[in-house]
Amino acid sequence: MINIDHLAYTSKLKNTDPRQKMLFALLTMGVCLWADSVVVSILVLLIMGWATVCQGGTRFSLFCKLLMVPMSFLILGVVAVAVDFSGNELIFIYSVALDKMYLGVTQAGLQNALHLFFKALGAVACLYYLSLSTPMIDVLAVFRRLKMPKLLVEMMGLIYRFIFVFLETADNMVTAQNSRLGYSGLSAGYRSLAALMSTLFIRAYKRADELYTALEARGYDGELNVVEETSPPYKWTGFLQTVGLNGLLVIFVLWMKEYGGGVVFW
Amino acid sequence: MVKDDILETQGLSYTYADGTNALRQVNLNIKTGEITAVLGGNGAGKSTLFLNFNGILKPSSGQVFFHGKPLEYSHRSLQELRRKVGIVFQDPDTQLFSASVYQDISFGPVNMKLPEKEVRIRVAEAMERTGISDLKNKATHNLSFGQKKRVAIAGVLAMKPEVLVLDEPTAGLDPMGVSEIMKLLKETQQELGLSVVISTHDIDLVPLYCDYAYVMDKGEIILKGSPKEVFSEKKAIRSVHLRLPRIAHLMEILKDKDDFEFRETAVTISEARKVLKDWKNSRI
Ligand SMILES: Nc1ncnc2c1ncn2[C@@H]1O[C@H](COP(=O)(O)OP(=O)(O)OP(=O)(O)O)[C@@H](O)[C@H]1O
Ligand SMILES: [Mg+2]
Repeated sequence: MINIDHLAYTSKLKNTDPRQKMLFALLTMGVCLWADSVVVSILVLLIMGWATVCQGGTRFSLFCKLLMVPMSFLILGVVAVAVDFSGNELIFIYSVALDKMYLGVTQAGLQNALHLFFKALGAVACLYYLSLSTPMIDVLAVFRRLKMPKLLVEMMGLIYRFIFVFLETADNMVTAQNSRLGYSGLSAGYRSLAALMSTLFIRAYKRADELYTALEARGYDGELNVVEETSPPYKWTGFLQTVGLNGLLVIFVLWMKEYGGGVVFW
Repeated sequence: MVKDDILETQGLSYTYADGTNALRQVNLNIKTGEITAVLGGNGAGKSTLFLNFNGILKPSSGQVFFHGKPLEYSHRSLQELRRKVGIVFQDPDTQLFSASVYQDISFGPVNMKLPEKEVRIRVAEAMERTGISDLKNKATHNLSFGQKKRVAIAGVLAMKPEVLVLDEPTAGLDPMGVSEIMKLLKETQQELGLSVVISTHDIDLVPLYCDYAYVMDKGEIILKGSPKEVFSEKKAIRSVHLRLPRIAHLMEILKDKDDFEFRETAVTISEARKVLKDWKNSRI
């Protein structure tokens, strides 16, 4: 999580208009989910991979590694969708007998699972593109400009800021506990963990208090109003790529539905 | 009440909710346009005192005066007061609320309802002054401790306060960082005619940069005066977990143990040099 954040600050795309990047990521994700097609999902995955690696300058191996992160959840979920349980052996492509029942995969189940798998992967790639190219501050700035509720944006900003302080505190405390053999055995481990949790809670509470004091000292009046850095100039041409690409994808999907016949399954 | 006191306390006492008497009958005067140091060991009450300066804590008894007028604790007057008395906190992580350096510094000026253009000018100035212009596009959490400290100072400077109150501005900095921050404060104080109050355990910087010093212990002021006067009270200084500046200590040893006969005392290197030169000349 901390690494991803750091990468966004070093991305070559950091200084492009965040609105452009957000629209690109979110619209493409929308199309990917709507199309519900393996081919489109793979296309989206490739496009996002290309944009992140070639345009943004993220290392290819890193992008792949990040895609592997949700893999275990994805595979578990997909297996649950693919596998069915029934008394009728004939509906299965492949099955094993369990007493009088059968456990196996059906054609439809397999299709569903494949669609789900690639759809999720495509969507994840879109989000990775966004988080690897756009620092959170820029995302929040866009939210603010879109007139999202102030409270929500402020909360997100504070959470984002203090997650790092919190993690650092937790990290230091674990190190300190470790160096006094806090996690040497199971029971010691549980005890240390409990102490860590309660102390962290108290610290967080105290931090919040101190933060409020410090904000008050600078004239806090219920709202965290700030002036943003001058953002990159707005260029409508920046949106052409997004709109064009997604237009093509949509036409492609419609065409497949119309003329693709059996291929539509993909 | 002398006319050029910008901050003053009379009989200021503060008791925390748990019954800790953090301040007892504190009387002090902060002179306009000077750098005043508040010295004291851990738990002496320095941070508590500072929070009383801008009305974040309300005295249990006694009063705080700003420009000779007692503080009022209504919302309006507090807002007004806080734009004139700026506090930089001990730990920059509690003060910096935004992940963006630029946005954080702009917070104070925006709260003062200044037009955006003016805010941008002030932010740029404050960043320039504190030497962090190149950190504009960095995230707060990727900064070093010393850099965060500068951002925190910039955030308060951008409000152009009349008094700058800094709680341990040099704690946790490397020797270079300490002298850079102190020079920055001295310059700012001289150029903008600012009054500065700092708390510190760093004894050696007091005679170098400060015009006046108060020494606190257990919530009480036990010594006050110019750094030279304060450090001539050797016993009292040592009794409150503090020490003399290294140079003063050396001069003391030379005088008491090695029978040097100095006419004056010295607390900084340049003073010591002068005293030693005089001593050499007097022997010829
Ligand atoms: N929120 C609080 N509740 C109760 N007691 C407190 C609180 N904050 C500080 N104190 C107590 O008040 C006394 C003065 O604390 P203060 O933080 O002002 O000291 P300090 O001089 O700033 O010390 P340091 O050099 O360690 O920062 C201490 O005894 C401390 O334990
Ligand atoms: Mg303190």
